Amino acid sequence: MKRFIKGLAAAAVLTTAGLGAAQAQKAPIKFGLLLDFTAVYTFLTNEYSQGQRDYLTLINDQGGINGHRVEGIVVDHGNQPQRGIEAYNRVSRDGAVLVDFLSTPVSRAMVNRVLDDKIVMITALHGRGDASDGEVFPYIFPLMATYWSQAALLAEYIEQHGGGLKGKKIAHVYIDSPFGREPLPILQDLAKEKGFDLRTFPYASPGNEQSATWSEVRRFRPDYVFIWGAGGGQSVSVREAIRNGIKPDQILSVVWLAETDMRTVGEQRAKGVKRFEAVATGTDLPLIKEILAKVVDAGKGAGPRENVGTTYYNIGVATMAASVEAARLALEKFGAPLTGDKLRQGFEMIKDFDAQGLMPPVTFSQKDHQGGGRGRVSQWNGSAWEPVTDWHAAYQELVWREIHRDSAKFKESR
Amino acid sequence: MFYRLSGIHHTRYESARQLWPIPMDRWQIYVLLALGLAAPLLFSGLYLTSYLLPWLIMSAAALSLTLLMGIAGQLHFGFAAVMAIGAYSSIHLVRAGVPFELALLGAGAIAAVIGSVFGAAALRVKGLYLVMATLAMQYLVDWTIINVPAISGGAQATLQTPAVRFLFMPLASDVSRYYLALGWVVLVTLLILNIKRTSLGRALVAVRDKDFAAAVIGVDTVKYKLLAFFTSSFLGGVTGAVLAFCYYRAVTPEQFTFNVSIQLVAMVLVGGLGSVLGAYLGAGFVLLVPIVLTNVVAFLAGAGWLSVSTNLLAHIPLMVYGALIIGFLLFEPLGLAKIYDNIRNYFLVWPFRHSRS
Repeated sequence: MKRFIKGLAAAAVLTTAGLGAAQAQKAPIKFGLLLDFTAVYTFLTNEYSQGQRDYLTLINDQGGINGHRVEGIVVDHGNQPQRGIEAYNRVSRDGAVLVDFLSTPVSRAMVNRVLDDKIVMITALHGRGDASDGEVFPYIFPLMATYWSQAALLAEYIEQHGGGLKGKKIAHVYIDSPFGREPLPILQDLAKEKGFDLRTFPYASPGNEQSATWSEVRRFRPDYVFIWGAGGGQSVSVREAIRNGIKPDQILSVVWLAETDMRTVGEQRAKGVKRFEAVATGTDLPLIKEILAKVVDAGKGAGPRENVGTTYYNIGVATMAASVEAARLALEKFGAPLTGDKLRQGFEMIKDFDAQGLMPPVTFSQKDHQGGGRGRVSQWNGSAWEPVTDWHAAYQELVWREIHRDSAKFKESR
Repeated sequence: MFYRLSGIHHTRYESARQLWPIPMDRWQIYVLLALGLAAPLLFSGLYLTSYLLPWLIMSAAALSLTLLMGIAGQLHFGFAAVMAIGAYSSIHLVRAGVPFELALLGAGAIAAVIGSVFGAAALRVKGLYLVMATLAMQYLVDWTIINVPAISGGAQATLQTPAVRFLFMPLASDVSRYYLALGWVVLVTLLILNIKRTSLGRALVAVRDKDFAAAVIGVDTVKYKLLAFFTSSFLGGVTGAVLAFCYYRAVTPEQFTFNVSIQLVAMVLVGGLGSVLGAYLGAGFVLLVPIVLTNVVAFLAGAGWLSVSTNLLAHIPLMVYGALIIGFLLFEPLGLAKIYDNIRNYFLVWPFRHSRS
């Protein structure tokens, strides 16, 4: 009997040890990819999510991060804060260390929660711009150039390549929502500093009908037009601008302008339109080629092949590339299990990471969660987006003044 | 059987006129209240904060709206704007140093005043035309919040709710937030139940059924229509503040858009116009069914029983949800509360077949 019990105990120890080892090897890293597939952000969510999942498949097929698989939990929240909160509570209970909502209203409602729960939230190209201030928002990473950096970079493009800003008339045509109004402080400061004439023209959400706004823009006779919208409204803006006598190469857009919008306007007609670019577009990039070869052509792709390499697909890949890199650095330094706090420090260790040329080199620190605010301007050549500048950042001291002003307000109210 | 009536003799007016004269109803209420009070012990944080809490708060909102739409018969398609006024007012009041308890009342008062101003349109127009007037309120309030940085909170257009205490209790944990929401919804429920059996409630019903007939029998329609808008907006404003402080903890204009107004109207209609139980059922249906369906579909897909594209997968819950709404309204046009009422009526006279209503 004694021997039996001893044997049982030994077996139990062995099994637990074995299980433990197996678990340590396998314990997956969970990312909550809680997106809006059904409401407002539908214009990009499919491609974006496809890029995210394809990249995770690539990583997992190569053995994950030091043997840890990365599990992306994809859930729809329909752009509704209460559904986002439910999805967030669910994945955080299940042990997710990173969440991505790709929805400004939802991620704004989450700020306090992720800061309290110590879970990393990435807000690439959405959410609060002032979250770049890592000292106030330790767990939030905008990852890419915020809307403020984008506006600054577009203005700088005119200064460098468009005949200087001084004395120019610039029209800012935007969707009348917090998102559309966000770059206004930066543009107003720049107008004062550089001496150009800035006029703002809002159009009503969702922007399917903008003709009244554009006839006003026409009267203003602008030298350059910034269009600041998203989704269907963007192609309407370009079309209305051209109809009101503005040449395509006078139009500069926020990051939300993609191949599909150009097709809606007419590929040849829109030739010359410029946009801010946060992530390189196309399949002619080492990382995208690798995904094509190892994931998509192997039949493991998460969606149609023709989406691979589109603007939003590549943005999705870039978000996951940066997150996986952060997780890798964190695991190397601190070891498993990965927690939100370790992952945050992993992000802050990233230096000059560019995902093999897919994105501008980003460097995060405890202070800077934007990663440098770099981007470039690209131009539609009739069939594809062609970069016309190198990756660079513009007027960052101005952007950071704005970031600090807003984050101080947030800190005060928290 | 369950709703036994025999042997129950009311010998005093008070007992005959109480809210739930039938013991079975009373016991149900006690059990539900006990469940509500014990919920933080019974449910995990996930279910408490992401199902029960929003359900209770949206039930309070639906109750406020059903007072206006169901009892007083005044259509309102801008109720989210009323809640937005309450939410923003409460945060700005707390930031200005007003105690939270007073800020809640202040939020209600401000919402009530602005709501009644727009409600004044109801004195002239009815039905669809009133819908247009309240829609105007929705868009005007949205526009004002977005375009006045002093209200919306600057370029980020987000206001965090400050840390507050309610009656000396810090509102810092999920449980304390839950109890505040529970207390508010119980208060609103009792208020609406009692309004329905007072002269105010009867006057509102008279106005709803035919306003000039009500005037003929001596009901001051101007007064009662305004009173309905005032009361309902007050409750809606406080509910908006509770929603902001207990649930969202940060307000942005997108939380109170036109879609939310439509959802509120849907809650009232699916639940049953003018019914208190219906407000709860409708809020539960509109708020929670999409979440539950999304999770069920995600589970099925995870188990490999549904292999379709992610895009279609995300839309299946919407299709089922739409079909459910149509299905329920075809089955019982008077709403979910009427379904419960039918069952109750059946058991009231069981084992006999015919109930009176």
